[in-house]
Amino acid sequence: MKKPISYRDKRILIIDDMADMRNSLRSQMSALEITQVNVIATVREALELLTHKQFDVILCDYYLGGSTDGQQFLEYLRLENLIKRTVVFIMITAETGYSSIITAAECLPDDYLLKPFTAETLRLRFERLVEKKIRLQKIDHFYDIADWSEVANACDAVIQQPDKFLLDAMRIKGHALLMADRSKDAISFYEEVLSHRRLPWARLGLARANKAEGEFAIAKQILNELINDTPQLLSAYDLLGKIYNDSGDTANAMTILEKASDIAPNSLKRQRSIVELAERTGDFKRVESILTSVVKKTKNSPLRNPSDYAKLSNAYLEQDDIQKAAATIDEGKTFFKESSKMRALSAVEAQVMHKIGKPDLAAQALQQALEGGTNGISDDLALTIAKACLVNGETAQAASMMKHLLQNNPESEVIINAISHVYKDYGGEEATKALIEQSAQEVVKLNNDAVLKAKAGAYSEAARMLTDAALRLPNNLHILANASLALLVDVLMNEFDIDKIEQSKLFTNTIRKTNKDHPKLKEIAQFLLKIQTKYPSESVS
Amino acid sequence: MSMIAIASLTIHDVKNKLASIAGVAEMHGDEDTVRAMLHASELLTQLLVFFRAEHHDLALNIAPHTPEDLIAEIAINQYTKRQIVVCTDTSNAPAIWMYDEALIRMILMNALQNALRYAHRGVAISAKQTGDFLEICVKDDGPGFPSELIANEAFSAPVSAHGTGLGLMLAKRVAALHQQGERQGHIHLFNENGAVFMLRLPA
Repeated sequence: MKKPISYRDKRILIIDDMADMRNSLRSQMSALEITQVNVIATVREALELLTHKQFDVILCDYYLGGSTDGQQFLEYLRLENLIKRTVVFIMITAETGYSSIITAAECLPDDYLLKPFTAETLRLRFERLVEKKIRLQKIDHFYDIADWSEVANACDAVIQQPDKFLLDAMRIKGHALLMADRSKDAISFYEEVLSHRRLPWARLGLARANKAEGEFAIAKQILNELINDTPQLLSAYDLLGKIYNDSGDTANAMTILEKASDIAPNSLKRQRSIVELAERTGDFKRVESILTSVVKKTKNSPLRNPSDYAKLSNAYLEQDDIQKAAATIDEGKTFFKESSKMRALSAVEAQVMHKIGKPDLAAQALQQALEGGTNGISDDLALTIAKACLVNGETAQAASMMKHLLQNNPESEVIINAISHVYKDYGGEEATKALIEQSAQEVVKLNNDAVLKAKAGAYSEAARMLTDAALRLPNNLHILANASLALLVDVLMNEFDIDKIEQSKLFTNTIRKTNKDHPKLKEIAQFLLKIQTKYPSESVS
Repeated sequence: MSMIAIASLTIHDVKNKLASIAGVAEMHGDEDTVRAMLHASELLTQLLVFFRAEHHDLALNIAPHTPEDLIAEIAINQYTKRQIVVCTDTSNAPAIWMYDEALIRMILMNALQNALRYAHRGVAISAKQTGDFLEICVKDDGPGFPSELIANEAFSAPVSAHGTGLGLMLAKRVAALHQQGERQGHIHLFNENGAVFMLRLPA
């Protein structure tokens, strides 16, 4: 016998900007004998409440009156991991057209309700959703802790005893296989699903899996067909744009993202991606036009972002409109207080202050931009800060940041072009070439020094040098491979040390994810074997 | 701004108003008003869908759903105060079927509304799988469809004074948009101890 499903003990959060809707939802809750209910009017209040209170169900109206709609709010919650997967999110809307919005959305609510609805309808939906959450409980649990292999196993358990949640489990399983880097398994899984029915999410998944396997041509073909058949499926555009972008084809990336933006003009995430592409092609007019609208839309919203202000100000600077650049900085500074989020803003401010002849303020802003160092910052931020350094005559500081960027992104056309642009008035391509050469020489020297150490028998020292470098330059596969090898040689020649082996494996995994055919992978595997032979009582794998 | 955009916005606002009236009525236990508001709102939804269909803008959102859940939900929202029993039979329904739930709900609500108007004592809603189709029937024990309607079933019925024509026309369009390979969804009307509205959706 199935246990009766109870929803009465659930904690409900209701968000609606209209007072009478809030009242009627509140009374529907009491008709359903649900007592733990919070009813509020704005996203701001919701975010405040969510910081210290847990809910089981969020009922949110799609139109919230202000600058943020329910869909953007949901995307923000998921992006920032503010709610667990076990939380049920229900969107309330007055028109059937919402279904076309969610087809296009990358982030789905658990359910949506068309207004008006009765307490009875609400009761049925609650029961249904609670039943689903119970059935998928294990999956959600492992999903929340990002244990993807276990997510896939938990999905299999549901798939083997199929019921109405079969397709939910299948959809999540595909995603879990991709997240667990099992792209070959993902390909055969999606192909199996597609042999029954050409479900759009399975086609998208197959494209993702092919991309992960480096099969870009196949992925592109799948996506083009998918977009043709299901023009509302925006994630397909985003993925295709990303493939173009990664291969340096900015023009095609831009075209595809703009198509997506025409369909869903309100996606901030996509607008920001287009801004990045436009910056790269030097189209600052376009950056200005997009960001002016983004900044306006998010002005009174918790979703506003300091980097929008930094980029908008920079776009004005690039077009020599110093006054507007300064005004944008001022506006941005009134909204954001936390200095770690303001580095980009400070970097642009340093340029503006220099140009309007206030060197003291420029130096002060530059100091703030530099605070926090270079490790772990985004490429974008590094470029912005370097530009500020150059404008303010801190040439050495700029060069050191750019060398780091080059060493961390070896042979990246995108980065080289971006650096040329930053240096456009400071030596241009010549300066960039010199930086590329110097950064390459530094890497070679580092490697040589390490080899010398190793030859002299200082294996631990060599491993330490390369490990430091690899941690500093996590995208440089060459350094990662050498560090991985040096660690294993150290273990083989000196003594067994599980930490060093683990570190070596972390590096190897990163290499494999980016390039599964990397030439050093074989050698690394051989060293692992040698270590296992030398220390038979220890477990290496 | 296009006519359809203006219509959408207006309908959206009116539906919000109806929702708040329904909300107040529900609080006071005034079920008649709740039903009237729900029905009025359904008609607006139909109007909007009709606009979209005319502009070839009716993008379907076909996804997996559970027929049993849909039918349970339709059955609890009957818009009549007459004492008519609505029973459901989903014991032979498939666990999952692919369709646009919002549009199919609209069609079935409309069919139920019609059945309730003509039924003597009861309406039965059933879902089952026959071959490659999901078959949903709304059946009443009333006088049955007029013979002209059944005879002209292949053609779209003209929009009649009480609005059933629009509902049927839309139902046919929406059903036909559910396509899978060679198979196409369709509506079948016939009499069998009352009127039977049958919606068939391909696997």
